[in-house]
Order: sequence, then structure tokens, then C-alpha cells
Amino acid sequence: MSIEAPRAARPQTRPETLGEMLAARGVSRRAFLKYASYVGALLALPAETIPAFAEGLATARRQSVIWLSFQECTGCTESLTRSFSPTLENLIFDFISLDYHHTLQAASGEAAEDARKAAMAANKGKYIVVVDGSVSTRDGGLYSTIAGVANIDMLHETAKDALAVIAVGACAAFGGIPKARPNPTGAAAIDQLVTDRPVVNIPGCPPIPEAMAGALSYIVSFGKLPELDHLRRPKAFFGETIHDRCYRRPFYERGLFAEGFDDEGARKGYCLYKVGCKGPVTYNSCATLKWNGGVSFPIQSGHGCLGCSEPDFWDQGGFYRPLSTTLGDLGPALAGAALAGVALGAGAAYASRRHQAAYLKEPPLPAKTAASGGDRP
Amino acid sequence: MTLLEFARGPALEAALIIFIAGASWRFVGALLLPWRLVHATPRAGAPSAPMSAIKSIFTKMWPHKPFQSAGLFTFVNGYIFHFGLAIIVLLFAPHVLFIKGLTGLSWPALPNNVVYVFGALTLASLLAALAHRLGSPVLRLISRNDDYLSWLLTFLPVLTGLLTAAHLGARYETLLAVHILSICAFLIWFPFGKLMHAVLFAFSRAMTGVRLGQRGAEI
Amino acid sequence: MTQLAGFAGPVRNSGLAPPSDAPRPERTGMAQAVLSEIAARLALFAQTGAVAALELTAMPLTRADRAELADAVGHGEVEARIESAGRTEVFETAYSGVWWVRHFGEGDRIAAESVEIGEVPAILRSHRADIAAAARRLAEFCTRERDEDEGETP
Repeated sequence: MSIEAPRAARPQTRPETLGEMLAARGVSRRAFLKYASYVGALLALPAETIPAFAEGLATARRQSVIWLSFQECTGCTESLTRSFSPTLENLIFDFISLDYHHTLQAASGEAAEDARKAAMAANKGKYIVVVDGSVSTRDGGLYSTIAGVANIDMLHETAKDALAVIAVGACAAFGGIPKARPNPTGAAAIDQLVTDRPVVNIPGCPPIPEAMAGALSYIVSFGKLPELDHLRRPKAFFGETIHDRCYRRPFYERGLFAEGFDDEGARKGYCLYKVGCKGPVTYNSCATLKWNGGVSFPIQSGHGCLGCSEPDFWDQGGFYRPLSTTLGDLGPALAGAALAGVALGAGAAYASRRHQAAYLKEPPLPAKTAASGGDRP
Repeated sequence: MTLLEFARGPALEAALIIFIAGASWRFVGALLLPWRLVHATPRAGAPSAPMSAIKSIFTKMWPHKPFQSAGLFTFVNGYIFHFGLAIIVLLFAPHVLFIKGLTGLSWPALPNNVVYVFGALTLASLLAALAHRLGSPVLRLISRNDDYLSWLLTFLPVLTGLLTAAHLGARYETLLAVHILSICAFLIWFPFGKLMHAVLFAFSRAMTGVRLGQRGAEI
Repeated sequence: MTQLAGFAGPVRNSGLAPPSDAPRPERTGMAQAVLSEIAARLALFAQTGAVAALELTAMPLTRADRAELADAVGHGEVEARIESAGRTEVFETAYSGVWWVRHFGEGDRIAAESVEIGEVPAILRSHRADIAAAARRLAEFCTRERDEDEGETP
């Protein structure tokens, strides 16, 4: 492997490349190759591209990232930062320069806002904006503000000169729980508001950490977005449904289901379709990558998939209503329809009976007149 | 709102309301019509009207001997797709859950793969029925739009159901939405066309049975 | 309607198995397919010197498949351990030129695994950038040592 000249296309925003930066800390280029193998496998990159991926990372400048947190629960940040030991999975934090992040940054108040603006100016056109949380739009967005600035204004101001916007989590990608009925704050997804910069959605509640890190690494190394589906999700992580990779799928096909959460079927690990699993219509990598370092995922732990990487998953009728039911409870409506039908039918039968009675009656005999002559026979 | 949300939400709601209202209307409307159909005196020794009515519902389930050679295909093929539809609708686990969601009633289901076999059989049987209708000049002459529409709206759910189960042709959530929408179309048309035979066949057979029975004819 | 009995996707060696009545991972025949590809790539390397890498993490191998593949390729003369952003283990298989590379992540779980065909796997080589930096560092160290020695000599 020979050294390639630092790519001329990358502007000098910081003095050193990631390779130089880690070397100064005693971490060799091997770490890049190892990381590239790890993330490359997650992204299903062809094996031949791994060395280029590693080189791309090593010769990249530290990517400036401004992380905006709006109407969110901080679960996405928690998911990404689960460990503080210097391991493979945390290298992503060395590759990016988190210039602004509410939960993780040391600065606060005006100093923090100044840091954000300074990073935007220094890296104009090159910084990545990561957003978690949805944006309030009702009444000018006054239901969610930071430093007196409405989320919607901060989003537009920060995204204006960004390289790309990554909407992390269900809230930023699709609106999430703030947008759930009745949506009191007028919560909106990021890609509804940012239309002039490329937007990548990494949904999930929270998203799988490898999905966040993998997408970021791809952008840092290759300088472009990974292949996205029609909902702007990276196909590498959101290309298949949970159902298609679920280890309980054979039970589904054989018709062996858990009827409740503590019955015989549940203990035997049968399919959770009947207790509301939304796996068949949910695209994510939970069944393969799993959570907490491959420990488990909802179905393996006995609970059906919530569909948390799909739009409006809070309003799909209920987590425990099976997929093959109506969205809402139609009892009253159908009872009313039956009553209406019976009434109409009774009315129609009544009208028909009256009509029949009228024409079935004997016609009245014509009146006897002197002119008509004698008695009728 | 995604297509699937629309299908499971407003579309199914509207379709079920129209179906229940329409089917109740026609059923009750027929039920409450005058029952005394024959005003002449019954022949001596003729069975009572209710007996004739009930009996004819069952005797018409198989053709009388003189008519068997002519009408056997219709009967046999008809039974194949009627039983097939019943098995698919009532013994496929997701469908049992659908009915349970509406009525609270549930029962054991067959393994999915068994239902898929019946699905394929039903599909073939329905296609055979259409081919038979189109191939016979007499049947073609007496067929109306109602017949073809009723056939199509019965065929599409079976076809889309099989495609959905096979994950064939589009993303799964789209296939499922289209399947549910095909059911909505079926439900909306049901009360207003030949599909109502599902309810009204009993009345027709009963009427004919009473008329024939009172005259002493074999039912 | 695809049957996925035993299929588990990119395998995470979590040590926690699905419940006892779940379909047991069985051999699917993938190991044979991978072995054939290794053989083809090894022959090509022997003729033309073209190196290759097969990412096992991305393949649909069950645990039984992995074990079958490991048995088939065996162990050779060389074993190496690398500590760089976590542990990596490398060994040459019983077939010269076929190397097994296993990267560990947090908590000893396998983060990535591959079979590499070449004289030596890429991760074992020292990178030119590291060598250049090391050359500078060593030169500095020698100069510093010499200066200290000269300083001490009266």
C-alpha cells in the first residue's frame, strides 16, 4: 500500500489529516484498515474497495460536524455514544470534529452558540449538520427554542452552507413522537423543511449506532452520500425488512404463533405476528446487526417489532394490533352501519308490501248504470 | 399518509361501512317481504311450505341426474373455488386476526404453506370459470357487466394475496396495501351486484322450492 | 415465502442463542461455496499475483457453516496478534497464501472477519506513512541520544 497524495479537492480547513492526527496519538494506519473492514462489511462494500475506503479516511481532514438537537429525547446521542473505551466502534468520534453538541460539548450558553457560528464560518460548504429531534413549525416554531432562537430558524441558518444534512432518529427523519396525533407543536421532519441541501435519513427510535457511524464514515471517506432508498435511508442498513431476516420466520410460515406475552407459544419463541409485530413492513437492520453490540433485538427478547424506522409508527393503530387488522376500532361505526342498513331494508320491505297490497287487491266492479242493461251474469 | 395507512384506515373503514349497510339493507329487505307466495290451494299430500323451502336449499347443492352431464363443470369447478375461498378467508392466520379485530371471534388456523396451495388452486379454478364463460356462446350471450365485474373483484384479492405472500412484484408494504384495497373494492361492490348471491341464494332456492312443492313436484 | 431456517445474517458472536425451540443453525452448503471461491482465487494468485479478500461478515454463514469452513482450511505455521483500536487475530491457514483475519470490537465480539489471499494480509504490513513517521522519530531519538552522550562526556 503506497501513500497517495492528499486529495487536492479537499480544502485545507484543518492542519492535519486523520492519519496524521491518530499517528500523533500513537495509533497506526492499521486502525484505519481495521475500521474500514468493519464498516465496509456493514455497508456491504465490495472487498476490493476496502483499501480505498481506509485511505480515504486516513487522508481526510477531520470532518466538522454540527449536531443540532431539537424536539428530541437524546436517545439517538445515547445510542451513538454507548461506550467510552477506546475501541473500534468509537473511532468515528476521532474522525469527526463535533464542533457543537448540546449534550456532549463542554461549552454552554453564548460561548456554545459562538462556537457553532465560528465552525460554520470556518468550514463553509464543508461541514455536516446532524439533526436529531423534529422541528416545531406551529406559531412560528415558538414551542421549541434554543437560546431564544426557534428550531426552524436555527435549522435554516445552519443548514444553509452545509455539505449535507443527516437526520438521525425517527423524529428528525419523519417527525417521530412529537408529530404523533394530535401533533400539538406542528412538528415536521427535517426533509420537509430543508429542500436545497442533500438530506440523509437514519431513522429508528433510536437508530442502530452502526447505521449512524457507518453513514458518517462513508461520507467522510468518499465525500459523497451512500445509496439511498425512496425515503432517503441508506440502502445498506435499510434495504431489507425485519421479517426477511428474522430468525423466527420459519415459525411464521408454519403457522406457529404466540397468542399472548406469557403463553406456551411465547415461551417457545414462536412468531410474534399475533401480538402486533410490524416486522413485515419495517426496513432496518435489527435482525442482523442487533443492539448493544449484537446482544439481542426486540423480537429475540420476546416483543414484536414497533416499526420504529418507518414514518408515523406511533399512529399505525397500536403496537399490539396485528398488521392484518383495521387501523382503528370500527365497532361503533359498523354497528351504526348495520342499524342504518336494517332500517333501510325495513323501509324498502314496507314500501314493497304496500305496493303489492295495492295491486293484489280486487279491482272495484264498474258501477251499474241503467244504460248497461240487466244484471251481470 | 402512506398507501398502507390509507388502505388499513379510511379505505377499509368506508368499505366495511358500505358493505355492512348495503348487505343488511338487502338482506332485511328480502327477509321482510311477504312470505305467502302462493295463493292457490296446495296439492293434496304436498309438503308444507317451510319444509319445501328448507329442503330445496339443500337439494340444489347437487344437480338432479338429468342435468348432471350438462352442468357438471360449473358445479365441480364452482365448489373448488368456493371451498378454496372459504379456506383462504377463514383459515389463514392473518385473516383470522382480521376477523378477530372486527368481531372478537377467533379460531385455529392452517399453516401458511397449506393455505398457499389452496390459493393457487382457487386462482386456477377462477380462471377456468372465466374461460368456461367466455368459451360458451350461450353463457357469453347472457353474461352482463355485473358477472364480469363480480368475477374480477373476486379474482383480484386472490391474485394480490398470493403476490403479497410471495413478496413478488413490489415492496411488501405496497403489495399488502394493494391487497387490502382489492378487498375494499370487493366489499363495496358486494351488496349491489351478483355477489349478493352469497346471502340471497337461500331466498331464491326457498321461493322456488315452495312453488314447486305446493304443486307436488319433486324438489 | 423463502425458507430461512437457520439463517442469521452477518453473524454477531454474542454468545446468547435464540430460545431452545428456535430452528437450530444448520450447515447450508455456503462453506463449500466459499471454499471453492478461495481455491479459485488462490490459483489465480499463484499464476498472476492478484491478491483478493473475502469478507465473511457480510456473507450469510451460520455458525455451523463458519465452523465447517474453519475446519476445512485449518491452521498453518503463522499466528499474529495486533492491538490497534482493539484486538485483531491473524493466522495463516494450512494452505499457504490463505490467511484468516479476525477483527474484535468492544467486549470481544467479532466486528469483522475475512479470508485474504496473498503473501501476507494487508493489515500485517506496515504502512508507508507509518514507516516515514517512524523513520523521522527514530532519527530524532538517535540524535537526542547522541547529544545526551556527548553532553555527559566531560
